[in-house]
Amino acid sequence: MDALINPLALYIACALGAVGVGLALPTRGVSWRVPGGILAAGAGGLVVLLLSLKAYDNDQLPNVYFYVFAALALGSALRMITHPRPVYSALYFILTIIASSGVYVLLAAEFMAFALIIIYAGAILITYLFVIMLATQAPVEGDEELQADYDAQAHEPMIAAGVGFVLLAVLTTMIFNGLGSLSPKSDPVAQEQVVLESLPIKVDRILDEAGLLQEHERVGRLGGEGVSKAAINIERRTIVIENTQTNTTRSLSPEQWPKDLSATNTEMVGSSLLVDHPGAIEIAGVILLMAMLGATVLSRRQVEIDEDAKAHEARRLHSAEASS
Amino acid sequence: MNSLFTLAQTDYPEAMGALTLAHYLFLSAAMFALGIVGFMTRRNLIIMFLCTELMFQASGIALIAFSRFHLNHTGQTFVIFVLTVAAAEAAMGLALVVLLFRKRESLSTEEWAEMSG
Repeated sequence: MDALINPLALYIACALGAVGVGLALPTRGVSWRVPGGILAAGAGGLVVLLLSLKAYDNDQLPNVYFYVFAALALGSALRMITHPRPVYSALYFILTIIASSGVYVLLAAEFMAFALIIIYAGAILITYLFVIMLATQAPVEGDEELQADYDAQAHEPMIAAGVGFVLLAVLTTMIFNGLGSLSPKSDPVAQEQVVLESLPIKVDRILDEAGLLQEHERVGRLGGEGVSKAAINIERRTIVIENTQTNTTRSLSPEQWPKDLSATNTEMVGSSLLVDHPGAIEIAGVILLMAMLGATVLSRRQVEIDEDAKAHEARRLHSAEASS
Repeated sequence: MNSLFTLAQTDYPEAMGALTLAHYLFLSAAMFALGIVGFMTRRNLIIMFLCTELMFQASGIALIAFSRFHLNHTGQTFVIFVLTVAAAEAAMGLALVVLLFRKRESLSTEEWAEMSG
C-alpha cells in the first residue's frame, strides 16, 4: 500500500511549518509573529488539503465541522505556545480544549467531551490560572521592555521547531503509510448486547414508553434471583416479554423493536470502565490521592518560630484560657 | 451531502473510513508536535507544564479516533485515565512550581540551571 499523500509534499509542508512556528515564537526586537503564523497555518492547511482531496476521491471525507474544530484547536495551540504572557497562554489552551471536545463529539464520544470540558477547562486550567496569577507580576500595558525576559525570549526557537517538526514528519509518514492496510476489527453489536441486557429496568422503561407493555408485563429476565439479564437479542431484534402474574411469556417481532432502544455512549463507557477495567479505577484513585497528599505536603509553608516566641505564645494561650 | 452538515452521529454505528481516520490522526500528531516545540522553547516553568498538557490532549484525540474507527469503547475509557494522570501531574507540578517560585522569586528555568547535573 502506497502512502496516502506524496511524501515529498509532506516533508516540504513540515519544513515550512517548522520555519513558521520558529518565526512565530516570541523574540525581542523585530517580531515575525504574523508571517510565521500564516506560514505555519498554510503548511498545516496544505497537508489537510492533500489529505482531503484523496479522501474525496474515495468518498471518505470527514464531517465539515472537523475542519472548523481542527483549525480552532491548532490555531489556539500555536498561539498558546507563542504568546509571551502566561495568562493568555492558559486562556488559549482553554480554547484548544473546547475545540478538541468538539472533535470528541464528532467522534461519537459525548461523555468524554463533557468530561473534558468539566475537568480540563473547569478544574485543571483554573488551577493553572491561580498559580500564574500568584507567581507573575502584572505587566505594564504596552510596555514590552518590562516583560520578564524568560517570557519575552524563546530558547533557541529554530532548532527546537526543526526537531519538533522532524518528529511530526516521521509520525505522519508512519501514519499515512500504515493506515491503508488497517481495517476495523470489532463487534459493536456484541458489545451493545452485553450492555443492554444488563440494564433490564431501562429496557422496561423504553418498552413502556413505546406502549408495548400491558399491565403486569415486563421484559423477560434471564438468570436467577439477583443477577437478572434482560431477554433481548439485538442481532435478531427480538424481545421476550413476561407477565409477572400469569407467568406466561410472549415475544415481540423484529418490526416492533422500539427505535430508541440502544445503549448510550455513557452506558457503553461505564460498562467498559467497570466491567473490563475495575483494577485500573482503583489505581487511578490511588494516584489521585497520592497527588493530593503530595501537593499539600510540597506547597505548605514552613513557619520558623524560635524559643522566645513559643514561650510567649504559650503564655498568651494560657491567659486566654484562664480568663474564659 | 446533507449529512455532511449535521453535527455528530446520524450514522454512528457505521464504520469510519481509514482516510477519515487519517485526518484525525494528523490533527493529533500536529498538536503533539506543537506541544513538544513549546516545551523545548519556552523558559517559563508554568508554560512548560501547559505544553505537557497539550501533548496529553493530542494523545487523547488519537485514542478517541481509534475508538471510533474500531467501534470499541476501550479507547474512550483510556482517555479517562489520561485525564487522571493529567490532573495528578497538574497538582504535583504546580505545587513544585509554587515551591520553586518561593525560593527564587522567578519562574525562569535558568534559575535552576545548576540542577542539570
